[in-house]
Amino acid sequence: MVRRSQNHKLTLAVAVLMCVFVSIDGVSLNDLLERVSQLSDKLHSLSTSLTNDLDSHFPPYGGRLMRPSMCHTASLQIPNDKDQALRLPENELLSLARSLLLAWSDPLAMLSSEANTLPHPERNAINSKTRQLQDQTNSLGAGLERLVHKMGTSSEVLSSLPFNSNDLGHDKISRLVNFHFLLSCFRRDSHKIDSFLKVLRCRTSKMQPDMC
Amino acid sequence: MTNTLYAGWRECPEYTASVQNECYFNKTYTHIWTSYRVQLRDTAYNITYDERCFTVENIVHPDPPVALNWTLLNVSRSGLNFDILVRWAPPPSADVQMGWMSLKYEVQYRPRNGTRWEKMDLESGTQLSIYGLNTDKEYEVRVRCTMSAFENFGEFSDSVFVQVAQIPSKESMFPVMLLLVFGGVGLLLLLLLIILSQQERLLVILLPPVPAPKIKGIDPELLKKGKMEQLDSLLRSQNVCKPHSAPKDPWVEFIQLDMEDVVEKSETSDTQHLLGLTHLGSSHALSLKGDDDSGRASCYDPDMGAEPESIPPVREVHSPVVARSSFSTHIHSTTTTPEAAGMHIPVQMQPSSQSWINMDFYAQVSDVTPGGGVLLSPGQQSSTPSKNTDMKKKKEDREEDVAEEEEEEGKLQLLVVDSDGGYSSETVARQQAADAASSRVAEQAYHTLSEPPQPHPQAWQGGYLAPDRQPHMPYFSPEAPLASVLPPVSDYTVVQEVGGSHHLLLHSAAPQASVCPPHPLKLPPGEPALPLGYLTPEFLENLSP
Repeated sequence: MVRRSQNHKLTLAVAVLMCVFVSIDGVSLNDLLERVSQLSDKLHSLSTSLTNDLDSHFPPYGGRLMRPSMCHTASLQIPNDKDQALRLPENELLSLARSLLLAWSDPLAMLSSEANTLPHPERNAINSKTRQLQDQTNSLGAGLERLVHKMGTSSEVLSSLPFNSNDLGHDKISRLVNFHFLLSCFRRDSHKIDSFLKVLRCRTSKMQPDMC
Repeated sequence: MTNTLYAGWRECPEYTASVQNECYFNKTYTHIWTSYRVQLRDTAYNITYDERCFTVENIVHPDPPVALNWTLLNVSRSGLNFDILVRWAPPPSADVQMGWMSLKYEVQYRPRNGTRWEKMDLESGTQLSIYGLNTDKEYEVRVRCTMSAFENFGEFSDSVFVQVAQIPSKESMFPVMLLLVFGGVGLLLLLLLIILSQQERLLVILLPPVPAPKIKGIDPELLKKGKMEQLDSLLRSQNVCKPHSAPKDPWVEFIQLDMEDVVEKSETSDTQHLLGLTHLGSSHALSLKGDDDSGRASCYDPDMGAEPESIPPVREVHSPVVARSSFSTHIHSTTTTPEAAGMHIPVQMQPSSQSWINMDFYAQVSDVTPGGGVLLSPGQQSSTPSKNTDMKKKKEDREEDVAEEEEEEGKLQLLVVDSDGGYSSETVARQQAADAASSRVAEQAYHTLSEPPQPHPQAWQGGYLAPDRQPHMPYFSPEAPLASVLPPVSDYTVVQEVGGSHHLLLHSAAPQASVCPPHPLKLPPGEPALPLGYLTPEFLENLSP
């Protein structure tokens, strides 16, 4: 009993210390922004590579495969050009990035589960990359959370972008088409996230001109 | 042109005037992250020829980078390679400073006259190092960019040319010099090693050893250092017991070897060689051209003294003194002691012998003196009758002089002595040596084939007997005993001895007993002794000490 209490005390002390350390901002803002920016860049590159794998056997018709409907994140109000994007405040940029990221957690989970049985010659590569995509999205979300805390911006209400589809379809063609459609939507959204975060980074670290 | 949001088609706002089939939408018509759909329609007939869908970011091609330049990083020690640092600036139209666009750059370079471009990896920054360029080539460098994670490259920038002048620095020469020095040292060492290891062989090549004198059956050391008396006894003993058992071949060999000497001294006659050998040192006499196999036994009488005349006896055996049958008969009539010895002229025995046998070896009997002496005229070199007369004249002068005294006038007298056997040959009576002959049991004329000190063809003034090459004549058949070679026609007589007064004592050799007299000749001092029988290597072999 005495030992148990001692163990409990020990673990408590360690936990407290860890919390303290975590709360203490060990990582500087610039570093955090840098890391986030790099992560979003990786995310975007991965989605591009995944799209290329898909297109290797099913070349898109007319430049892009004719998609049946709009992306589920199309309702989000985003700047359409550079000037608008540059005018946005930092917290809006951050909230846009976070909203988009949040909107894709469910679809990516569904894609990962569907990638196993995708009737595609590159299924293995697609499967692994889809899983990586999911992991990186989650970590980026976590990073953005920290960034919000770091920047001290008021936590704005994130837009809700529901994803209603449960599966890709029943037949091979529709599954492939839907998979491809979803992935292209994700690629676009990852580019948005990356652009927003890079603008945020360059704006925040004006002290270091070599970063941007 | 439709926008999914507006669902309305709009026609091309501006058809390019200069270019055909082109429509220009300025940037007010397009927004990023918006998908657009373009159709090519025939409005009259409502036919859609083509349709495209796109989003802006997927079709962006950035402008080429600007301000491309290079700086030299370093040059290799050898001066053959160098590294450069290439810098550039993003295109002005791309707002990289604000982070709106993130570009990736691709640098390419090639040699000036090359065709293939070397592509470097995508670079996020605005500088790149290129390593391993050759100093003797000029390079062309260019760069282009694309949006990050997109595959649409823009145009290439203007090329920049890179070249580094070759500097023949001292440092680059240094290794070469070092290499040369080391190479030279290595070669010297190798040469030294070779010389040391092959020392003996080299010495042999550069300084060939003087051949030792060698007579078959006789220890060469003995020849080199032995005393004369020992050699005398040795050789004499060898001569004694082997009369006519020498085969033909050794004689051939004998002759051949002998010939080598003659050939070398081409100007001198063979007989001159024979005679002249008396003037050579004893060592020379014994070392006949260093021929190891020659069994040149030089049998000479110890009484001869210091003057080495060992060779001449051997040579004299070769003396081409052959009596003509015609002469022989003639002489027979005149001589008191019929000669019945076959004169074996070793040299002449071989018709097939070497070509070097010239007439020198044959003494032509020019005249027969009333006293029984046969005057031998000189050979080919000099066959003037005057010489014969000279010989005649000098013949009287000759007593028992030493042979070597007669240099210019070689007097030759052929004295034929009767012997057993059927040979009939010249019987030469020695005119003036009658008294001397009486003193000897087997008086034999001596034909000294003394050679002048400098043998020359003219020195031979002795007569020579022309060879009679009757095939059935055993010129010299060492194997057969004399008895077997005593045909009725005997043109050859065994030259028993050669007298000091240039008399050739012919002796018809008996096949047996008398052939091997223990001391066949009592020679006047200084005269070469010609033993009965023929000295062959085989003789010496059997009598080797």
